[in-house]
Amino acid sequence: MSDPTSSPPAAPRFEYTAAFLILRLFLGLRTLLEGLEKFESNGRYSFANYYENMKRMAQGITGASFLPLWATRLFAESLGYLLLLLGAALLLGVKSRATLFLTGLLYVALSFGLMAVQENEGVAWLGVHVIMIAGALLLVRHDRFALCRDRRG
Amino acid sequence: MPTPTLPGFTRRDFLATGAKLGAALFAAPYLARSAPAGGGGGSLNLALIGCGEQGRVLLNAAFKIPDIRFRAVCDIWPYNRRYGERLLKKFGHDPVPFEDYREMLAATPDLDAVIVATPDFMHAEHTNAALKAGKHVYCEKLMSNTAEGARSMVRTAREAGRLLQIGHQRRSNPRYIYAHDRILREARLLGRVTNGAAQWNRAVTEDLGYPSGQGLSEAVLHKYGFANMHEFRNWRWFKRYSGGVISDLGAHQIDVFNWMLGANPVSVIAGGGRDYYPNHEWYDNVIAIYEFPTPAGTVRSTYQVLTTTSAGGGYFEYFMGDEGSLKMSENPKYTKLYREARAPEWDEWLAKGLIVRPGSGEGAPLPVRPWEKPRPRVPGLSSPSSVVDVRETAELSAWDMPVTLDKPIHQPHLENFFDAIRGKTALHCPGEVALATAVTVLKVNEAVAARKMLAFAPEDFTA
Repeated sequence: MSDPTSSPPAAPRFEYTAAFLILRLFLGLRTLLEGLEKFESNGRYSFANYYENMKRMAQGITGASFLPLWATRLFAESLGYLLLLLGAALLLGVKSRATLFLTGLLYVALSFGLMAVQENEGVAWLGVHVIMIAGALLLVRHDRFALCRDRRG
Repeated sequence: MPTPTLPGFTRRDFLATGAKLGAALFAAPYLARSAPAGGGGGSLNLALIGCGEQGRVLLNAAFKIPDIRFRAVCDIWPYNRRYGERLLKKFGHDPVPFEDYREMLAATPDLDAVIVATPDFMHAEHTNAALKAGKHVYCEKLMSNTAEGARSMVRTAREAGRLLQIGHQRRSNPRYIYAHDRILREARLLGRVTNGAAQWNRAVTEDLGYPSGQGLSEAVLHKYGFANMHEFRNWRWFKRYSGGVISDLGAHQIDVFNWMLGANPVSVIAGGGRDYYPNHEWYDNVIAIYEFPTPAGTVRSTYQVLTTTSAGGGYFEYFMGDEGSLKMSENPKYTKLYREARAPEWDEWLAKGLIVRPGSGEGAPLPVRPWEKPRPRVPGLSSPSSVVDVRETAELSAWDMPVTLDKPIHQPHLENFFDAIRGKTALHCPGEVALATAVTVLKVNEAVAARKMLAFAPEDFTA
């Protein structure tokens, strides 16, 4: 009779692996493209457009909330680069656990800005992203096909 | 042998000079008649006959115009007369009040012009008397409740050598002028105009009353042609005083048909009736179809005026062509240009500034919140679900005109009248033009009564 507590961990099931991969790819693409669109204006992509768009975003949020301009501007000007970086890392599978956690924090910070301007529809959309990230974190031990996996898997 | 020409005077110069000379000759009657009243730029002395609703609208529009002075007001109802007098005094004028227009004309000889805003059946009498007294006249529309009355006004103005402007104020609205001159004539954005449609749908209104103790005596009412106080206050609904709703509301828009299409109609068929208001005489709903002969072909235009519902988009005039359509209204929010999908692109006109992309309303991009940026347009992805039937054609694209009127709607028309008196411009709606409109409008009532299509003769439109 075998001791159940001493049995080796079950081999990762395909369903979990596939579920996590799909979540990772979705969140990676979503985050990457969300970062990319920050550089767009009238169909053209440029750094000038990026700073113009982010300036508008920061001023808009500050104008409609209690948040100071220096804070919204600091956040806005780093947001696009963070989204690109985290999106690319998720797609490639670089340290997925830490990447997912940081992406989740970023979406919570974005939600905070939209909560401050009472943009409930946007908050709900970001809430869906946050739930997906939380789900992905629960499945992260099944991470496969990754460029640089976490040590603990 | 070559034709000798003056040095530096080419055939093109000759044609251009000829065209200018022709235009000057055409405008001459309206320019030459204007005496240099007010010293060609000085203050004009004015009087108002009729201080009721429309008279007050005109006063409020006139207050914003410099170099005019109201010297007299006239109304048979003391209540209205006092109101007009007080309103004018509030704005720095010092008018003398009169009950009878004859006394006013006799006692105020230095008037330059008279504004007539009385019930339609009095227009001819008041206008003709003022013209014969040597005054220029601005008379409210409809010119008269009879075609003969309108003709008499044209003839009197001609004989007196004085200006007669009729209050079809859309003709001085810069947005309407722009649509006529630039969109329809210069750029011809509508292609061949095939149809027109206009309407004025207005919700139920209560009859007008009057303050207790302020009614006119029967003797005074009868003296001035009114049966009783109810008809005096609600004259627009009774046949002896007006042409009914087709004249009261329809006249403005049917005038726009004649103007924009550059033609008078050849026929009209109409239906209507007094179906809702038991204590009125005139029809409370009228629907008419006109045929206009234009150089490009027949334009068939529908007109409806409903007084029991404001549904159906309010009031507007629509001109539809094979390449585009123009929806006009005094209310800018109803104004729009539409391009047919088969028409050449309008980018050229956009680049020239003739038209603009809508900033608001139909065709405008979805509203963007202050912290958002506009979303990129994706061709082919716009509302595919809106096509519900294979017989539908592609959706029209909506455009705006870069012209707005930032004054009361009657002000530019009054300004045009005053400028014409000073000899600076020609009238936008002289009596001859408004006579054609009056004939076009009044025939609708005949067609409703006759229950058949009626034809216009060219001589109907002349005095």
